[in-house]
Amino acid sequence: MTSYERVLNTIEGKGIDRVSAAPEIFGLSARINGYTIKQYVTDAQTLALCQIKSQQVFGCDIVFAFADTALEAEAVGCRLYYPDNAYPYIVDHIIKTSKDIDKLKIPDPFRDGRMPLVVEACRSMHNELKDDCVVTACVPGPISLAAQLSGLETFMFLIADDLDSVEKILNFSEDVIMRYAEALLKSGAHSIMLFDPVASPAVVPPSVFKDLEAPRLKRMTDALRAMGSKFLWLSIAGATQKILPLFSGIGIDLATVDYVVPISDAIRLTEGVIINGNIKPLSFVTAQPDEIKQIAINCLNEAKGRFILGSGCEMPLESKPENIGALIDAAVSSPL
Amino acid sequence: MIITTVFSIIITMNGYSLEHLITAVVAGQNDRAVSIAEVLLKNGTSPESLIQDGLTVALRSLDAKCTAEEFNLLEIMLAGRAMMTVMDNVIATHLLSSSTIEPVPEKTIIIGTIKGDIHELGKNVVKMMLKAQGLRVIDIGKDASPESFVKAAMLESARFIGVSSLITLTMPFIREIRPLLNDTGLDNVKILAGGAAIQQASPSDLNVDFVAQDVFDAVHYLNGLTS
Ligand code: B12
Repeated sequence: MTSYERVLNTIEGKGIDRVSAAPEIFGLSARINGYTIKQYVTDAQTLALCQIKSQQVFGCDIVFAFADTALEAEAVGCRLYYPDNAYPYIVDHIIKTSKDIDKLKIPDPFRDGRMPLVVEACRSMHNELKDDCVVTACVPGPISLAAQLSGLETFMFLIADDLDSVEKILNFSEDVIMRYAEALLKSGAHSIMLFDPVASPAVVPPSVFKDLEAPRLKRMTDALRAMGSKFLWLSIAGATQKILPLFSGIGIDLATVDYVVPISDAIRLTEGVIINGNIKPLSFVTAQPDEIKQIAINCLNEAKGRFILGSGCEMPLESKPENIGALIDAAVSSPL
Repeated sequence: MIITTVFSIIITMNGYSLEHLITAVVAGQNDRAVSIAEVLLKNGTSPESLIQDGLTVALRSLDAKCTAEEFNLLEIMLAGRAMMTVMDNVIATHLLSSSTIEPVPEKTIIIGTIKGDIHELGKNVVKMMLKAQGLRVIDIGKDASPESFVKAAMLESARFIGVSSLITLTMPFIREIRPLLNDTGLDNVKILAGGAAIQQASPSDLNVDFVAQDVFDAVHYLNGLTS
């Protein structure tokens, strides 16, 4: 059974040979293969190569077309700073006052900023891995992009002071994301992950998720499925218990939960959604492989099926590579 | 005696007491908090009392409301903003040079997000809350090197350093602060750490004195030391 078949069968509730394993390995793949993060996020071929090589070495079932969380905001016009060996970050947010919102232009994914780079990486990964391994492209959720465009603190205060502007920024963000996601799907991505860390109750109140984000996510997942995304994946870190019951209504197939959410709770709260998770990020750095394997086996036992083993959060850049192996090993060696 | 009586009459006449200020700050009502504070000052409440019995009480009351399951960040940010607006627009103009927050080491903390990390929101929330506790908080920003924490502690004669980080990658830098302090003879400076990723670590992992699970955890720790 190929990785692709294993993941798709899991999603569709069909038979599988073993549980799929899909830890969120992004920049870590650069570190493992001897590239800097700057090279990884600025060169399509490096990104594709590092993902493919890590997949071949460790046998993960999904590779990721994703550079960093500032990429879309940069394409809209935010200025970034690029450290040599860490992710770039925004130094100048494009929305300073509500007047700036109407001036924003939706970027062209084939031309603006580094969007074309990820589009190209998608194409390379698909060409190389064919339909043997899933290529998932990651895009932000509207709240996460909106917070990047205005700056997080400004965005939070806008929620309290000026909901009209918040709605406008979210609508714009949704348009940016959809256009970008469409380009990624056209270029070989099998599926889209909505990476939405700011939508977490750790940051915005659950009522904001319910009223402002959930309806948008539903609209987006419907459209993305129509565009050919084989499945839809939502990743939100932190204690998400309060918003998990909404997940079954927003059209997602797979949801990542962080280590602070017990897998049994996640399964109970999200009917019909497959759960992916959930190991403490720090343990990939500090724990020994046999400990990681045991923690992963515990996850598998707690999940009892309808589950994809993963990291629950981005795997830290300084994770021990052996610990990726240990995670995959748990999936390979555990009986169904 | 007579003065105090006159005083309370004025307060009642204007309809405002410290209670009103507290309610407005907790509710995050910026403009209302400012106008109430102005009236209170005009009617003779001292700036010190406004801070101690008004603003500080308001932000402390959030402590009881915020448990691990019920942590409303926006509510805290709005209350913090109301507090800071009162501090900047009302109290600062009345105090001019005479600061109520004495620049003494026991009340001074250097705070920053460590090198390699740019998450700032948590640090800013902590800063605000510690100010409400009457601490003098020196913010050295984000992506700040271990050396810059130590240098600031030396220049500002601080007794505490607060390090924030949300990504695990920064742990080696956090560990460097203690030996740098010792080299500089600042052995008695206490280091507190906090933030989503490093709160998974123990104080000994990080070579610090305390790892806070949230901002109130840090407040309790500091109160235990300074009282
Ligand atoms: C907002 C956010 C961002 C914003 C930051 C904006 C800003 N100016 O701060 C942006 C989008 C820029 C961002 C970028 C990145 N992020 Co980020 N981000 C978050 C998010 C959504 C929320 C963090 C937050 O502000 N929480 C609210 C505050 C109030 O909580 P807090 O910081 O923990 O603070 C509280 C306590 O911890 C404590 N505290 C905090 N500091 C201190 C200090 C002291 C002294 C004390 C006593 C207490 C204390 O008090 C606070 C109040 O109680 C989290 C995910 C989540 N849902 O938690 C990810 C998260 C932290 N980010 C993460 C990552 C990986 C990144 C990136 C590396 C992503 C990337 N691949 O490009 C970059 C970082 C680049 C860099 N070099 O640093 C990961 C970290 C995981 C890990 N493995 O280490 C998380 C968990 C998301 C994820 N699922 O992967 N991020």
